[in-house]
Amino acid sequence: MKQSIWGKILILIGAVVGALLVGALLLLIAGANPLVAYRAMLIGPLSSRYGITEALVKATPLLLVGLGIVIAFRSGILNIGGEGQMVIGALAGSACALALPDLPGILLLPMTLLSSFLAGAVWGGIPGWLKARLSVNEILSTIMLNSIALQLVTFMLRGPLIDPQEIAYGTGFPQTAQLPEQSWLPRLIPRTRLHWGFVVALLLAGLVYVFLWRTSLGYRMRAVGAQKEAARYGGIQVENSLVLAMALSGGFAGLAGMVEVLGIHHRLLDGISAGYGFSGIVAALFGQLHPLGTIPAAILFGALTLGADMMQRAVEVPAAIVLTIQGLVVLFVVGSDVLMRRPDFLKRLLGKRMMPIPEETSQEEVPS
Amino acid sequence: MIDQLLQTHIIIGVLATGVRLSTPFLLAALGEMFTQRSGVFNLGVEGIMLMGAFSGFWVTLVTGTPMLGILAAIIVGALMGLLMAFVSVTMQAKQGISGIGLYMLGWGLAGFLFRITVGYVTSVEGFRPIAIPILSDIPILGTVLFNHNWMVYFSLLLVPISWVVLFKTTWGLKVRAVGVTPEAADTLGVSVRGIRYACVVIGSIMAGLAGAFLTLGHTNMYGDNLTAGRGFIAVALVYFGRWNPWGILAGSLFFSIVDALQLWVQVLGLDIPYEFAVMAPYVLTVVALAAVSGRIWEPAALGKPFDREA
Amino acid sequence: MKRVSLFVVLVVVLSTLLTACGGGTTSSDKIRIALILPSTIDDMAWSQSMYEGILAIQEELGMDKVDFEYSESLGNPVDAGAAIREYADKGFNIIIAHGSQYQSVLDEVAPDYPEVSFAYGTGYQSHDNIFAYDPQAQEGAYLHGMMAGLMTQSNIVGIVGPVEAGDAIKYNYGFQQGVEAVNPDVDVRIAYTGSFGDIPKAAELAKAHMDAGADFLTGTAQQVVGAITAVKERDGVYWLSNDMDQSPLAPDAVLSAQTYDWVKVLKQIIEYRENGTMGGEHLSLSLANGEIKMVYNPNVEGNVPQDVKDAVEEAKQQIIKGELEVALPD
Repeated sequence: MKQSIWGKILILIGAVVGALLVGALLLLIAGANPLVAYRAMLIGPLSSRYGITEALVKATPLLLVGLGIVIAFRSGILNIGGEGQMVIGALAGSACALALPDLPGILLLPMTLLSSFLAGAVWGGIPGWLKARLSVNEILSTIMLNSIALQLVTFMLRGPLIDPQEIAYGTGFPQTAQLPEQSWLPRLIPRTRLHWGFVVALLLAGLVYVFLWRTSLGYRMRAVGAQKEAARYGGIQVENSLVLAMALSGGFAGLAGMVEVLGIHHRLLDGISAGYGFSGIVAALFGQLHPLGTIPAAILFGALTLGADMMQRAVEVPAAIVLTIQGLVVLFVVGSDVLMRRPDFLKRLLGKRMMPIPEETSQEEVPS
Repeated sequence: MIDQLLQTHIIIGVLATGVRLSTPFLLAALGEMFTQRSGVFNLGVEGIMLMGAFSGFWVTLVTGTPMLGILAAIIVGALMGLLMAFVSVTMQAKQGISGIGLYMLGWGLAGFLFRITVGYVTSVEGFRPIAIPILSDIPILGTVLFNHNWMVYFSLLLVPISWVVLFKTTWGLKVRAVGVTPEAADTLGVSVRGIRYACVVIGSIMAGLAGAFLTLGHTNMYGDNLTAGRGFIAVALVYFGRWNPWGILAGSLFFSIVDALQLWVQVLGLDIPYEFAVMAPYVLTVVALAAVSGRIWEPAALGKPFDREA
Repeated sequence: MKRVSLFVVLVVVLSTLLTACGGGTTSSDKIRIALILPSTIDDMAWSQSMYEGILAIQEELGMDKVDFEYSESLGNPVDAGAAIREYADKGFNIIIAHGSQYQSVLDEVAPDYPEVSFAYGTGYQSHDNIFAYDPQAQEGAYLHGMMAGLMTQSNIVGIVGPVEAGDAIKYNYGFQQGVEAVNPDVDVRIAYTGSFGDIPKAAELAKAHMDAGADFLTGTAQQVVGAITAVKERDGVYWLSNDMDQSPLAPDAVLSAQTYDWVKVLKQIIEYRENGTMGGEHLSLSLANGEIKMVYNPNVEGNVPQDVKDAVEEAKQQIIKGELEVALPD
């Protein structure tokens, strides 16, 4: 039995309203009017050219990282190393662009993007390889590699790749020189930050869909994700498939890092991963772990984050409230996911609650 | 520089620093071990630690009694655990993602509450080191192990206790059964949900304590994002220790002593870029695990929601 | 896939519900200042110092004359860019992005808003409507180095650094020169935590320094509050603070502080604007123009021998007159 579309809409509205109601409590504590705050949060990103384009700017890396997450998840592995893969990708891409300043854009741009993809793939492939060959758990290795990547990039940025100007003026800030202009991703709309990276991400979403559902390699990877042992009996090289899945996943994260650099900053500096390695996972889940579903999910999660930021500025509450509301939305939406998959779940759950099961007396919020 | 490092007082300094650094990892990782043994993957340890760190600090600031701060961290940890358990066990959410939600919520909420309750940098009187009589007089070992505050001893004591609970009690047997074959455990009348709720809450309480250690037993203060990624390292160390308390002890000490060593090496003068020193514990942890690789057992039902009627 | 269309419906429904309420604000001839902070307004370091500077200027010029909004925890330049654009769209006159990492973001936004003055620092690169402010942190660091060099008993002093870059290098380099100038026998030990905000790590690094014999410590970034609390617990060890006077945290351990007079810098920017200069100036903060200040902590000032004070004061005057130049790394 499947939940009807209207039922699903109600559940989703219920989950988000539930999260916002809890958030409203915090807004009241902080002395803000929740109605004014939520108006800024929900209308802000939709009501102006600034809001719409900025939401898409945020959606671009979310989508790219999310596509990698979809590949990994569908192949049966969770990639929480996106943060490290992003910066390593951006590092390699930036180094490539700086090394070849005289190349025409038509060659330089694809080369830069490709090198970032490859570097991200290597950084993501390492945990895959460690898992397949040496049984090192990928959760452990990706967490460690995130920290290692951060230090490695700082080293490169203050050493070999530092902007010579920073040395000349004695400011010494760790960032690269501006990348050659022909490598930049041009703006889609002037006076906004929206750039062609968004279009690239959209095209790649289609490509990932074709790869996973229309090629035999993609089919084999999904088979491993769906039933690992069955796939093994079916003659699929499970270990190789996992390495490939992690490498592709890392490649997309690496690309996301470089697209941020080429589209927004035009140079590499610290902090560009900005938590996308984690929020990309959320975007992928909201998109039902489907490459095409991740497109609107990334846009809406981008709008939500931007809206929360705008709300925080509009009613002047502590910035920490933005993270809090994001966390609440994630918890409520993943928590209500089961109601969408199985409409009878709530009835059963409530039915059971009549019986005295002490472990279930939790007073947590029940998504409506 | 090598001969400098081999001086007794330096060795003592490195090891004592390492033991102190290992406590938050040990507390949080032992807790997460119970959570994962029961089949639940809680990636939100970092968020719980931050909430524990804040609540412990704030209650101590207001009351002047750090033990009340510990109590607050336990309660807050338990509440965060109930939330995680409700979303992940009852509502069968994808656990990696509910953990990320919990992490965001804990980080944001701790920062928010700190701003509206305190809102400036200040310190509290935390726990003082207690030298254990006789034992603390043993050369080297005395300073390394027996001259810390009670939370350090407590965390070390929890290692054998956890081992006994997990491997020598009926309850521990049930936990292990639920984490491997929940269907079979259910048939035998074990409450899968009950065990999982209990284990998630225990794990979260210990994560809360780990956070409170940072504010009350280590820095005596609270600041935004105080834990700086330690919750994730703790989760990683559960895999390093292969869901065994002794393995987790080994992992926590290994990571922390390497970290202490790199700090001391930097202090004594270092001629390589410092970033490579800072990344040493992360690199060596992966290398160490790879070096002793072999067939890995893991709780078969880890991360999989259980639904009797599904 | 279906889930997504649900989101659209949801947002539209909620939006229409909420459009009814709320109102707009109008601005008069006030100066409207917006501040972008990498850390928080209560970090007792770089971010808090600027926040308090703007509050002070609001106080001085009158609350009705200065409109002030801020946005904190914007360590990642992407979200900072969104915030800067939003403030510019809202009609703020002066937007201060308080960190070196905002240089490229401003380069990108500023040309779109010629009527707005932007400022950032530590930085060197000014543009038509971008001011760059640049505290010469090495100057005060030099004086701190002299204090440590003259007063240390163990001949070991330690630096708790965040990341070896930017302001931290400037400060550490100046500090080393100060120590070297007065006492070449002193061992200046520099170590880094690898992070700007890892408070427990900074505490542990400070303890390692002290266990290894250091009796003077200093350092930069918001992480150092952990180190200062660790120093407070030991007798006979002093901390030399930077960015802000951090003595409230350790009234008996912080000996002296190098602070920045942001009020003066802000007044300069306001004045430039009134005279029609929207940006393009490199604003250096130095001992000579009085925008870097050195303050002893009155609680422990008595512990500083008079000859040390005199030597430090003399060097300060030499720096002000330009007779003594504190070098920067090359």
